[in-house]
Amino acid sequence: MTATLSIAGLSKTYPNGVRALDGVTLAIPPGMFGLLGPNGAGKSTLMRTLATLQDADAGRATLGELDVLRDKDGVRRILGYLPQDFGVYPKVSALEMLDHLARLKGLSDRGVRRDTVDALLQQVNLWDVRRKALGGYSGGMRQRFGIAQALLGDPRLVIVDEPTAGLDPEERVRFHNLLADIGESVIVILSTHIVSDVSDLCARMAIIHRGRVLIEGEPALFTRSIEGRVWQKAIARSDLEAARAAYPVISTRLLAGRTLVHVIGDEPPATGFVPVEATLEDVYFAAIAGRHPDLPALASPEREAA
Amino acid sequence: MRAFATIAAFEVRTRLKRLSTWVYFAIFFALAILWVAAAGGAIPGAIVSFGSGKVWINSPFAIAQTVAFLGMAALTVIGAIMGRGIQQDAEYRTESFFHTAPISKLAYLGGRFTGAAVVLLVILSSIALGGFAGLFIPGIDPDRVGPVRLLPYVIPYLTILLPNLVVLGGLFFCLGALTRKMLPVYVGSVVLLVGYLAANGLMRDMENKALAAVLDPFGSIAMSRLTEYWSIAERNEWLIPFEGLLAANRLVWLAIAATVVGIAFWRYRFAVPQQGGGRRASGSPTAADERATAVARLPVTAQVPVKPWRLLPRMTWMYFRETVKNVYFGVIALAGVLFFITASTTAGSVFGTTTWPVTWQMLELVSGSFGIFMVAIIAFYAGELAWRERDSRLDQIHDALPLPTWLPFAAKLAALMLVPVVLQAVLMLAAIGVQLGKGYTHLEPGLYVHALFGIDLVDYWLVCVLAFTVHSVVNQKYLGHFAMIVYFIAVAAMDLVGLQHILYKFGVTGGYVLSDMNGFGPYPPRFRSLEAYWGAAAALLAIAAYLAWVRGTTTDLRGRLSVACRRFTVPVRALTAVAAVAMATLGAWVYWNTNVLNPYVTTFELEQRQADYEKKYKATGDDPQPRITAVKLAVDLFPSEQRVRMRGSYGLENRSGRPVEVVQLGFLSGPLLNVRELAFAMPATLLVDDQAIGVRSYRLAEPLAPGAKTELRFDLELAQRGFRNSGAYTDVVENGSFVNGVTVLPIIGYQDRAELVSDHDRKKFGLAPKERMRARDDPVGRMQNEITTDADFITFEAVVGTEEGQLAIAPGYLERDWSDGGRHYFAYRMDAPILNFFAFQSARYAVKRDRWNDVAIEVWYQPGHAFNLDRMIAATKDGLDYFTAAFGPYQHRQFRIIEFPRYQAFAQAFPNTIPYSEGIGFIARVRDDDPDDIDYPYYVTAHELAHQWWAHQVVGANVQGGTMLVETLAQYSALMVMKRKVGEAGLQRFLRYELDRYLIGRSTEQKKELPLARVENQPYIHYRKGSLVMVALQDYLGEETLNRAIRAFRDEWAFKGPPYPTTLDFLAHVRAVTPPRFLGAVDDLFESITLYDNRATAASAKERPDGRFDVTVEVFAKKRKADELGREADAPLDDWIDVGVLDADGKALAIEKRRIVAERSTYGFVVDRRPARAGIDPFNKLIDRRPKDNTMPVTLGP
Repeated sequence: MTATLSIAGLSKTYPNGVRALDGVTLAIPPGMFGLLGPNGAGKSTLMRTLATLQDADAGRATLGELDVLRDKDGVRRILGYLPQDFGVYPKVSALEMLDHLARLKGLSDRGVRRDTVDALLQQVNLWDVRRKALGGYSGGMRQRFGIAQALLGDPRLVIVDEPTAGLDPEERVRFHNLLADIGESVIVILSTHIVSDVSDLCARMAIIHRGRVLIEGEPALFTRSIEGRVWQKAIARSDLEAARAAYPVISTRLLAGRTLVHVIGDEPPATGFVPVEATLEDVYFAAIAGRHPDLPALASPEREAA
Repeated sequence: MRAFATIAAFEVRTRLKRLSTWVYFAIFFALAILWVAAAGGAIPGAIVSFGSGKVWINSPFAIAQTVAFLGMAALTVIGAIMGRGIQQDAEYRTESFFHTAPISKLAYLGGRFTGAAVVLLVILSSIALGGFAGLFIPGIDPDRVGPVRLLPYVIPYLTILLPNLVVLGGLFFCLGALTRKMLPVYVGSVVLLVGYLAANGLMRDMENKALAAVLDPFGSIAMSRLTEYWSIAERNEWLIPFEGLLAANRLVWLAIAATVVGIAFWRYRFAVPQQGGGRRASGSPTAADERATAVARLPVTAQVPVKPWRLLPRMTWMYFRETVKNVYFGVIALAGVLFFITASTTAGSVFGTTTWPVTWQMLELVSGSFGIFMVAIIAFYAGELAWRERDSRLDQIHDALPLPTWLPFAAKLAALMLVPVVLQAVLMLAAIGVQLGKGYTHLEPGLYVHALFGIDLVDYWLVCVLAFTVHSVVNQKYLGHFAMIVYFIAVAAMDLVGLQHILYKFGVTGGYVLSDMNGFGPYPPRFRSLEAYWGAAAALLAIAAYLAWVRGTTTDLRGRLSVACRRFTVPVRALTAVAAVAMATLGAWVYWNTNVLNPYVTTFELEQRQADYEKKYKATGDDPQPRITAVKLAVDLFPSEQRVRMRGSYGLENRSGRPVEVVQLGFLSGPLLNVRELAFAMPATLLVDDQAIGVRSYRLAEPLAPGAKTELRFDLELAQRGFRNSGAYTDVVENGSFVNGVTVLPIIGYQDRAELVSDHDRKKFGLAPKERMRARDDPVGRMQNEITTDADFITFEAVVGTEEGQLAIAPGYLERDWSDGGRHYFAYRMDAPILNFFAFQSARYAVKRDRWNDVAIEVWYQPGHAFNLDRMIAATKDGLDYFTAAFGPYQHRQFRIIEFPRYQAFAQAFPNTIPYSEGIGFIARVRDDDPDDIDYPYYVTAHELAHQWWAHQVVGANVQGGTMLVETLAQYSALMVMKRKVGEAGLQRFLRYELDRYLIGRSTEQKKELPLARVENQPYIHYRKGSLVMVALQDYLGEETLNRAIRAFRDEWAFKGPPYPTTLDFLAHVRAVTPPRFLGAVDDLFESITLYDNRATAASAKERPDGRFDVTVEVFAKKRKADELGREADAPLDDWIDVGVLDADGKALAIEKRRIVAERSTYGFVVDRRPARAGIDPFNKLIDRRPKDNTMPVTLGP
């Protein structure tokens, strides 16, 4: 089945007044979908809502015939979920735990279950340590175990919440390979605040900030739309405030003690600015800063800066 | 130190901002108010008091009790706050912040500990504040409030609560810090609770009291022990000192805590524990990765929809296994077994002598003492299971699994319900082990299974459902635990404040008394009905728990409500409706039994009835009434129907000297009695028919002239109908009926003794205070005997019918027995006049027979209870020997002891017939080789035999002192027989218990203590003090001389009356044989409350050249006299008191009565053998609250 997950007008306000989702509308086709946004953007709320763990105040989400918000049992049957933060029973081995979860996911046939579990353990490269207690796993191994459990039972909707946070580069690569393996006919939603996760993996993406979807589409197209409009200059750190006031700055970072400022604009805003190749990171920062051309007009820079 | 203070202050500040802190505060505040208000009379139905209604509710004693008791209930709060002092950093993974900060271990640990202790003090200050606020609740009886003082509120905090915080808190703090988990903290609190219960169990044996006081980690036993002999006045006035056992207890526990804390401090490491220790998994990523990522597609995973019913047992088993398969559960089970074994060493102990470990007794230990422990375990495992995934942060993965919500929920509940199953099995094995260990081989595994798994387990399952529901609904682990504690306190407190109906105490099924004679008796219908009723309630709770169960991350109220609404689907609604209808139907059934078939009366309403009786009928109390002179009965017992019918007649005679116009009849069974016929032999009209109170009065058409006779004929029936709210009708039961005639038959005339007694109760109903008994010279009282007020000596005959296969007994001699229509009849006739005091028994008995001269001795017993028949028969023979020689002939040709079920635990002397409970004596395990065991079957038998003289020959008048002539003399007679058998030393062991029980008895006096000769039916005086006084008197006068006086008294009064004798008559005989120098002692013993504070102050000895020893002993003596509330004043000393020297075995080397007039005096002795101890009154013949300091070790000089 190659249905698209369509989300319309999803909103959620927490009892403490935080507006976590504010009319989120997305169409997520099969394949890898990146959900990019800063901490606290509402990514996890969206993920948990899709993973049946909490209810939205308003809005709809459907996957083909399936009403994702109402028919929780239906969703759970096709769901693979890796939460942002999860624990393990420290004294239980990966094999036992995975077998147990497989059973709970409905893999009741012993032979099939064992094949599945074995295959998954091999796929996530935990085969050699499958009999070791989970408590002894490193962060990366634990994360790989997490993806293994999420892939149990042939899920058609896989939700992976910030899976690479805290992983070393090597583990991250390994994890990316795993995700890339999952296949094109499955919807994989990957939430992250690390831009390269998305640029490396995802055919489609959305940037979400303060509960709203800022832009949605293909990463390459976004990059293309600011191609040739990103300018860079190295300035002294003390000049940063002045630069922010003077130019449409989208991001700053340090390089060898100097501050590199990226600005967006059709022309170099001042002397000393040199053009740089646009990256998805520039797209991201431009969007967050409200300066990406694909943004709806209502997001003005002043409001963002407030 | 800055860091220390900063850490402590931060801890205090953050905790004081938390809601839970103030919830705890509010609950303890409310409990304290409620407690004090109930004891102070502000709640009409409440029956709470601090031992005695005369103890002020704000007396130091009462405040200390309140603080100590509620402080114990705070155990979990202490655990939750102290345990989390350090453990919270592990749970929230904030350890590294502190471990890397430039602070010392001391500042970190000490600061957290101090902070937690301060917060706990704030919370627990609510007890004193609530206790104080309670004094101002409207409706508090001002008589119950003493002067307001500050110190009594402060001192218990210093001596009890603060040490508890440090000790218990320290242990919990360390457990939490070292293990970084809370489970060990809970296990620790359960173990401490077990320690307390075990210590409490030890108390049954007097010798263990000091040990128990030190063992109790809460210090409350030590405090009770310290104050147990305090009189009412002392409890009201004295501050509780920090000394003796209390100080010892606190110091021992502080030392234990200090050791643990020291070890913890040493062991605690400033390092975040590596996850999984050094066992970091080996499979480090290498080239294998590439292979792995290249693995082909997954096999097609045949995922099928989850089959919940197949998964349920699996998940249940998994949860259960994880619950029990760890060291903590092992610790709990082991603690349980240890507790059980400890408790079994003193189970059923009487006078420090144990019983055979019969199965009902083992079961009583398992379900009684152990019950609270089991419930605590259930409560905290409910929390563990409910929070299992969330505690390991697996909840998001778990909650997103394609499982119906009810499945993990049901599996957890089922796993929780398996926990008591395992523990019950463990306890059953422990119980059987104890039985075998004590050489008791009559094992009844079927009975164990029936009781433990068929009955008690249901109660525990109800608690499981409740606890799980609480945790589901509250959704905060520690608050959930606390809510359970509140529930337990509430259920216990409801009774005390007058909410006594079982229908509103969740999980209360009414219990049962298991008897070897009568099995579960009349109780199963009640507990089965209530189990079903609460089962339906539990189903509703489980539904509520399911609706409230948090799945996912929605925890706000609104969100949870909408989730609950969504879960409330049609099937759930249908289930709810079914459960609600079932609960309502079963509730109606219970109500029909408790309130329609049987009158539902609370304690308050019973008192109301007594007050109404007095208000309505007291006015006619002095009207002349006829007296019963003859009783003829046909008693039909229907054991399996629990029904008795008594037909027959009273012969009545007017002995009042005035014409009788109205006859008033009273019925103890009131509204339960079915009056089929009631008629006088002469015309009479029914004047009053007050069924609620149980009074009928008749106006005789013609007044009954003085000296004239008539007859009252009756046909009365009493039967168990359905089941009652509390108690049960256990007089007529399937096997082992024991019906006192007075429970069915009419009593003639107004009964003073049915009036309310305590001033407080009387005040509640607007009655003036009254004296408990008439004065010794009261002319009305002297014309009545103290056993029955409506008759003198009567003639008696009865035909008792019972079911075929049972034997039926009544006082008198069996004339014939016959069978008719499947029933067996026994005709008894008494050949001599007896008191109007008789009972009927019926059961399937075995009989052991013996003879003493021409007296037939019979013991009718339950087969299997043959342990002590020989002791009973020996006591009967020895008693008959002694009593006939010393006091006069035995009036009967027969003496029968007849066992009855343990619904009551006493033996009672009827003419030639002694009903004797299976709970005392029959199963006693007296080890003849153990000098500490007291042969109480022998003693009890001798006492009851003595009543054939003291009661059935000479009976006291119905005035003050009346029971002394019956009970004290019986007690004395039994002790003299005992003395012959076990010697002085054995007698002294017995008297130690008597002294203990007297001193405790007077401290819980409800009205006023009286001297022995004016005792007002106060058991602690006429039995306990009576023993001490009579033994002391026989020591002064000599046994022979005293017996001569007693004999003369009997000869003067036997079978006489009215008027009946009083203690004045008895003491006249005593004084007649008393040498003048001891006359003062007789007054002290009988006519005043005299206490001594005697002790040895120095004792030394020198060996003489001839091998003998010169002993010098300095003694201190003080005599004090107490008033009715125990306020004491020094009395002038001019007393003859023993001074003596003992050897190492406690035998006297020299003992002499010396006249002592000065507080301090010195005495010299020459003794033949090496002296060990010396002192004043070494055998504790006088009443002294510290008997042990009377002698001291003798130091042997050069």
